[in-house]
Amino acid sequence: MIDLLQYDFFRNALLAAFLTGLSAPAVGTFLVQRRLSLMGDGIGHVAVTGVAIGLLTGTSPLIAAIVVAIVGAAAIELIRTFGRTSGDVALALLFYGGLAGGVLVTGLAGQGPNVLYAYLFGSITTVSSSDLLVTVVLAALVIVLVLLLSPRLFAVSQDAEFARVAGLRVGAYNVLVAVLAAVTITVAMRTVGLLLVSALMVVPVAATQQLARGYRATLYAAMALGCLAATSGLFVSAYADVAPGATIVLIALAGFALTWPVGALLRRRRRLHSPFPELAPAEGPAPTLDRHQTAHTAEDHEHGPDCGHRAVPHGDHVDYVHDGHRHAPHGRHYDEH
Amino acid sequence: MTPPAAEVLAIVDGAVELGGRPVLRGIDLTVTRGEVVAVLGANGSGKSTLIRALLGLVPLARGEVRAFGVPTRSLTERHRLGFVPQRATASAGIPASVREVVAAGRLARRPIWRPAGRADRAAVDRALQTVGLADRARDDVTTLSGGQQQRVLIARALTSEPEVLVLDEPTAGVDLASQRELAATLERLVTAGATVVLVAHELGPLAPLIRRAVVLHDGRVSYDGPPADLPHDPHGVHHHPVTHHRAPSPGLRDPLTGSAAGEVR
Repeated sequence: MIDLLQYDFFRNALLAAFLTGLSAPAVGTFLVQRRLSLMGDGIGHVAVTGVAIGLLTGTSPLIAAIVVAIVGAAAIELIRTFGRTSGDVALALLFYGGLAGGVLVTGLAGQGPNVLYAYLFGSITTVSSSDLLVTVVLAALVIVLVLLLSPRLFAVSQDAEFARVAGLRVGAYNVLVAVLAAVTITVAMRTVGLLLVSALMVVPVAATQQLARGYRATLYAAMALGCLAATSGLFVSAYADVAPGATIVLIALAGFALTWPVGALLRRRRRLHSPFPELAPAEGPAPTLDRHQTAHTAEDHEHGPDCGHRAVPHGDHVDYVHDGHRHAPHGRHYDEH
Repeated sequence: MTPPAAEVLAIVDGAVELGGRPVLRGIDLTVTRGEVVAVLGANGSGKSTLIRALLGLVPLARGEVRAFGVPTRSLTERHRLGFVPQRATASAGIPASVREVVAAGRLARRPIWRPAGRADRAAVDRALQTVGLADRARDDVTTLSGGQQQRVLIARALTSEPEVLVLDEPTAGVDLASQRELAATLERLVTAGATVVLVAHELGPLAPLIRRAVVLHDGRVSYDGPPADLPHDPHGVHHHPVTHHRAPSPGLRDPLTGSAAGEVR
């Protein structure tokens, strides 16, 4: 480990990986919450065009990619809000447009598509000092903004209508999340690569949401896991001489593979327990578990797929968890099961 | 014309179109301080659209909507509005604790640069106690029952210490025991002087609280008056009571004032 740290390029890469590992899941939390997990991938594809424009014009591919990705991310958000196109179609358009545009413009720049490889899958040795400075400044900015605004970003992505009544500018916050995602993706393209960085936004969140009970816990744990995966993946790849971006993503996925069974087990246990803490209604006799008790009639309330009661498959029929006991429809009343 | 001081929410000659289709027409509704108003009507009669319009969530095709005497869209003191949306059936992507969801209601009182302070935390605690969920504050909200989730949303609205509480179908998909608890919670708030506007498909245990019923039919107000005069069964625990509320003609006279409530234009 000491030998590796003697190399400038490795120290640069380590710092870049550390900051990417922190910032990517921070932004990713709010994308996952809004069910836009693939948005990062869409922005990554758009950034390919930005890299190509940088190559064509002889400017920094990093800066060009940041600018193009921000424009693309804002476009996705605006198409979703104002267009008649649904979110996934808007993403698909940018996926294909970005990648095709990138390959085309690279050709115009007189280079083969091979030159894009370093950006698509990351290339640690190319993290220069000037790139590192941009990475550090932008990643720090992303992390500070997300942590500062997290209560508002949470409120907006959790219940947009309530947030609007509370006076929050929902559209502006949505565009902000998209722009932060664009910045995060482009600053990470040297370490993890454009095609894999969005995995670092989503996978740590998917892993930690299995165990956490709140968004704040999910956010912090995902940042910790992302950071761990990014830095440890870098060391593993250096020693085993494999691609760092792929290693980082696979380590994050291993985290998901570890937490998912635990989360599934916890949810199963909660489901089994959930009918019981609700006993003790304020009035009326406490329900007993008589085999054919008819406490409520279908006139009170009709159970169905959307009635709001938890449906529990029970042998050949479905029970509905109702105020601490299970209802099974039977004629015009419910049996207690 | 200056609105009266007691006016909390008002729509004047309001019409709403959704996707080019008229949903509300000729709506004149003023809610004054301390009133407890139930908006009733069949599915598709425009009840939810009416309260969404009252809150400025859907734009009016014509007319004006005011909150506390100013156009709703330019109201800056947003904490005066307490909105309790219909409980979402789909769970959100990432977990959220009861306390986190409730604390979101405090944002209307918090400038962007100020972190949550002692007063904010105290308001969240009070709201959780009001709805009787203080012991579930740390639990994931999706593990709660439908009635409890409804109370979480009420607590979220209460944290901003609003002057009016607007509830969209608070009794939908909630069992009878939870409806009684909801009624008890609302009664405490009403006794403390809150103004309440709620949309309901059936009043159920809420019936004793309601002082004024507004019945919508085909996007028009077909009845506006005390719920006692509604021509229907007194219990209100009924699946489709609205068919009984339906006005015989669109030009039904308001039984109190004698004015036409839903004049045909």
